[in-house]
Amino acid sequence: MATLTVTQNFGKGASDLSVYRSLGGYSSLGPRLFDLSQFELIDLVTRSGLRGRGGAGFPTGMKWSFVPRGSGKPVYLVVNADEGEPGTFKDHVLMLEDPHRLIEGMIICGWALGVRSAYIYVRGEFLPAIETLNRALKQAYDAGLLGENIQGTGYSLDIYVHRGAGAYICGEETALINSLEGYKGQPRLKPPFPAVSGAWASPTCVNNVETLMALPWILENGPAAYQALGTPKSGGTKVFSVSGDVKRPGVYEVPMGTPLMELLEGKDLCQGIVGELKGVIPGGSSSPVLTAEEARKANLDYEALAALKTMLGSGAVIAFNTTRDVVGMLASLTRFYAHESCGQCTPCREGTGYADRILKGVVARKGRDGDLEHMLDLAANFSNTTICPLASADAWPIENFIGKFRPEFEKAVAANPGHAAPRLDDDFRPGAFW
Amino acid sequence: MGHCHAKVTQPTTDEVFSKLEVPSVLARAEELVRRYPVPRSALLPMLWLAQETIGWLPQEAIRWAAGKCDVSPVHAYGVSMFYTMYKKEPTGRFFLQICQNVSCHVLGAEDIIAHAESTLGISSKGGTTSDDLFTLLRVECLGACGNGPVMQVNDDFATDVVAGALAMPAGVQLTKERFDRIVAWCRDRAAKLPQEPLRDVSGGAFRTGGHPGAKGATTSPQRPDYAPAPPVLALSVQKTEDGKAKVTWRADGAVTALHLEARRDGGAFAPVATLSGKDKEWVGEFAAGTELRMVSESQGRRAKPSNIAKMEA
Repeated sequence: MATLTVTQNFGKGASDLSVYRSLGGYSSLGPRLFDLSQFELIDLVTRSGLRGRGGAGFPTGMKWSFVPRGSGKPVYLVVNADEGEPGTFKDHVLMLEDPHRLIEGMIICGWALGVRSAYIYVRGEFLPAIETLNRALKQAYDAGLLGENIQGTGYSLDIYVHRGAGAYICGEETALINSLEGYKGQPRLKPPFPAVSGAWASPTCVNNVETLMALPWILENGPAAYQALGTPKSGGTKVFSVSGDVKRPGVYEVPMGTPLMELLEGKDLCQGIVGELKGVIPGGSSSPVLTAEEARKANLDYEALAALKTMLGSGAVIAFNTTRDVVGMLASLTRFYAHESCGQCTPCREGTGYADRILKGVVARKGRDGDLEHMLDLAANFSNTTICPLASADAWPIENFIGKFRPEFEKAVAANPGHAAPRLDDDFRPGAFW
Repeated sequence: MGHCHAKVTQPTTDEVFSKLEVPSVLARAEELVRRYPVPRSALLPMLWLAQETIGWLPQEAIRWAAGKCDVSPVHAYGVSMFYTMYKKEPTGRFFLQICQNVSCHVLGAEDIIAHAESTLGISSKGGTTSDDLFTLLRVECLGACGNGPVMQVNDDFATDVVAGALAMPAGVQLTKERFDRIVAWCRDRAAKLPQEPLRDVSGGAFRTGGHPGAKGATTSPQRPDYAPAPPVLALSVQKTEDGKAKVTWRADGAVTALHLEARRDGGAFAPVATLSGKDKEWVGEFAAGTELRMVSESQGRRAKPSNIAKMEA
């Protein structure tokens, strides 16, 4: 059995404080944490090799070191639990199964940065998880683990759960901050980065749920032990959400660098593909798709997937078999990005909708010759021309699905008997936002 | 529901405010404002609270929330239109949301949605049955892809009925049969319970002292000195080409002074030099075997000593 650093309490009823404590929980709230200076703790997390588990993979210790101390402004910790990337559901399960580990991780992060008020931004659809978190928070307050002057150290921390209201874009950290502040969830220009000027123009650290939940283990077992679990550049373990055509979909924690096929076929893991593997989306809907052949070569760490021109992202693996229609899959993705565009930047607002309308036409057997080139041209124009990466996240699947499964797309276009005629209908023109 | 403006008849200000301006709601509104440094930031939770109380979000409820959060009604209106979960029109008692995104799509969500449409006889774009029991909506990723295709019934995930309750057991996906079972469960519940009990939209949030400095808050800001002073890390000493000792270390940016100390033959450490917190290295002369350590000082607090570095022969 591989070492588990985040999901070890699954299925043990750890959402209750006494159970969590009996499993060794909150043991870092003692000399192990309270004897550390902020500087030492940040150094320790840097040495562990922990990287942000929300998608971007930015080194956590380095992110913390950017947060200025002694600026006279309060420092905020905002937990990104706005898990909306299609295919990702690990944070949902993590919060339901082990909310106290998240709270303990937040106490540790708060100690490192001098946080007084911390907010867990949970997407609105996760009300059962919000209820679980609030029950856990109440237990922690009652036990004196949160609040003012925690265990006589002089350190105070309050944690609030902030419920989102249905917007994928709020998973982008600056959009999340805007949403927390009571605005529309539209991303901000960077710089200034949130670490310097985030929520309420104060230093703000935005971390993913899984990132924070790795901290208690790192503090207990040391940074070197955590680093040693993964590869030299991608330390530790990662929690993957596996869905699609696998025998046992679910949430699995494996060491960084594990072969993708081992995750999909391992006896204790997904136990194999249903049907014959056609392709795998390795890191959430926006990560470029892998063909079955590429998937067999892939290892699950940041560098190995980057070498295959895709990414680890949030660790959402979606496998699909040879009976699945990739045109319909891409149509489902483009519709999603068109719907979730915040409307702020023109290339994204107009471009994602335009690409979506073209593909909808292809699916409805109204495709015309040149539609695929048109979509690729649009994708090239709206990626990297906007404030946040949402448009790029639409462009990558478009480019890779069409690039890797082109014959199927051509067949879908050819299904229209009049595919060679020039397009005259107005349905596909840019313009209408919704 | 959606970003669209509601086409329904809006209740009057009096009808809405008489439900919201009651002690139980006002107490919760006050607590929400206390959680953030400025009242504006309580807008999303305030809109949720209004939606819980009224059942949906009429325009006058948005005006009420704006007043509680010190923002203009038009700002609150814009925000409420941005987020899809604020209901701009009333829905049926059981609000069924079926995920149509890629993981669920791969596993046949479209078949389930088509089945739901024909079973209930309503559109999956927000149609409501004539008995006001069901509203059906196709939505984007619900974040439970391991159970795909998935559905939410009001605020609960449901792919099956287990022991008389809605449930989403691990690995159990929504099928046409299970959808029918869930619909039957809803109809049965409607026959037994006259109306759905209120569900706390904030998930049972409890009262805390609030954000320091917020209106009505009783808490104080973080003490700057709760953690031990930052010590010097990774002190090392190397012999330069001309036989001198070059001392390097890592120190926190908050350090104001660094005290370099030395000893020989296991004696007591004696001060050698006091450096500024910004210094990065120091060069001096030491005999072989001299042991060095560094003590940092920040805002008058001395940290524990660094590791001991030894001058090589």
